[in-house]
Amino acid sequence: MDGMRYEKNFTALVDDRVAEGVFRVDRSVYTDQEVFNAEMAQIFEGGWIYLCHESQIPDEGSYYATDIGLSPVVVIRQKDGALKTFINACSHRAAILTPRKQGKARVLTCRFHGWAYSCEGRCIRIKQEKEAFGDEEFDRSSYDLKVVPRTESYRGFVFGSLEENVPPLREALAAAAGWIDLMVEQSPDGLEVVPGSSTYTIHGNWKMQIENSVDGHHVSTVHRVFANTMRNREERDGLTGMARTEGGRITGKVPSGAYDLGNGHMAIWAQHTTPERRPVYKKKDWLEANFSSGKVDWILNRGRNLAVFPNVALMDNPSTQIRRVRPISPDRTEVTVYCIAHVGEDDEARAARLRKFEDFYLTAGMATSDDMAALEDTYLGSHARAARWNDFTRGLHSMVEGADQVATLGDFEPVTSSESWENETLYFGFYRRWRELMSVE
Amino acid sequence: MNTASRDIDMLVEVSDLINRELKYLDQRRWDDWLSLYSDDAVFWAPSWSNEDTLIRDPKTSLNMVFLEGKGRLEDRVFRIETEDSYASMPLDRTVHVVGNITVDETNNKSIHASANAIVHSYGRHGAQTTGSLYEYVLSDLEGRLTIKQKKIILIDDAVAGPIDIYHF
Repeated sequence: MDGMRYEKNFTALVDDRVAEGVFRVDRSVYTDQEVFNAEMAQIFEGGWIYLCHESQIPDEGSYYATDIGLSPVVVIRQKDGALKTFINACSHRAAILTPRKQGKARVLTCRFHGWAYSCEGRCIRIKQEKEAFGDEEFDRSSYDLKVVPRTESYRGFVFGSLEENVPPLREALAAAAGWIDLMVEQSPDGLEVVPGSSTYTIHGNWKMQIENSVDGHHVSTVHRVFANTMRNREERDGLTGMARTEGGRITGKVPSGAYDLGNGHMAIWAQHTTPERRPVYKKKDWLEANFSSGKVDWILNRGRNLAVFPNVALMDNPSTQIRRVRPISPDRTEVTVYCIAHVGEDDEARAARLRKFEDFYLTAGMATSDDMAALEDTYLGSHARAARWNDFTRGLHSMVEGADQVATLGDFEPVTSSESWENETLYFGFYRRWRELMSVE
Repeated sequence: MNTASRDIDMLVEVSDLINRELKYLDQRRWDDWLSLYSDDAVFWAPSWSNEDTLIRDPKTSLNMVFLEGKGRLEDRVFRIETEDSYASMPLDRTVHVVGNITVDETNNKSIHASANAIVHSYGRHGAQTTGSLYEYVLSDLEGRLTIKQKKIILIDDAVAGPIDIYHF
């Protein structure tokens, strides 16, 4: 975007000297307003941003109002089924065009002065046009909505880019595409966002939420209380089957791994000790009939968290989640979580998926709430300039370039692999991508 | 006794129960709070499906909280009392101010009542005030009024920071 890049160079904030055993990030990346402004201009308005899931805009005229960085945008399903994204502001005086977050409209009429736009973004009516612009044929097209230059969907997950000159989405997703495949391919009839969502704000920086989404190292401390609470419940109530939780991974004593998936995308996994408690396990026979044993193993037996750079995390654990992150300011982040589920799954599986979600993932749940509190503390601690650096070298000695043995079974090609989700080398990829986008050309 | 005085007695009894419930939460008297709920109690805060509609079916939708059975409330108390929950140690301080209590319907099995509440909480990141509409289903259990269902409509769409049963 012309004239929107910052003169200041922020590259020194990522101290990348891996050959010398150093990879550290200056904590001002979380607290500094100038860094934040540059992130909005260069990261959020400079590349692919997750917008919504296709199931949220099913029909012609279905719209979903969301944002790219600080810009309000709206995704609209076109007559031919394609998706278009526009700046969600009237061309006249910038009023938001969608009365609701999600809805359906053949025409978007501005409620301020009554100007109207078609789903394709054409300005089709200006109130008192003749009086305003004279009698001769007036060219309204200069008032067409500002189109977000790129909108693409990868297997139902819709992304938009305000920067036109970006690679196709599939290419930009790098090895994260393979991880999305693992989520999508497990359901014969596709995925859908379940009714209801939860939005909360965090007193902390957006990158902390993305980091936390693929941080395996906190699980055995922060979520120990969740595992203990579940154990207490299951003993008290004598629960069986899918009603039980999947607590094995929380102890930290199961096989796991972490990947730098390229282009800033990251992922972690941990082995399920009791995969039969996951709703997806009902699809075991179908999966085995349709996919390689390696892929089926990845889908059924490995809990997976994927962070797609820069603003969404996709979780495929006992429950399944889209966690979308919206930066508000350096110290405020809005997060909206959705449950994404198999279309047509039976009531027992759907209910188990939702109740597991509510137990764990929500701000009023018994685990995400603890994550938020921890994250907010890291934000407070990051202000201490006498202690500047976050070190990310945990696990550097065992990091391997490219795919490890497990990755080769899953049809994806990471940049680096790590033998434990407790390791932090996956963040190299995130901060290298961050530094690349934040540098002055 | 005439109908009017029976209605007043009922309203007094229901109001007393609701007031005590919220006092126990503010005073962190968790066992006293739990004792007000029946074993099969449902504690439910639906999420909003759009700006003015709540999700309809709690079983097939995503809720803010949906706890079926008193055991699920005991889970929350268990977690708080371990002092091992990052979000619950230290606990936010809360004050519930409840009003507009009405008895909406009575039959031989249960009493339907509603109330409005303003919940003010304070924690390490400062203060937050949220509004809730309560819908109770109460029943007489061995001469004592007990909560069989509490539905909480949280007015606020986006909540700041972690919340738990005592913030609603």
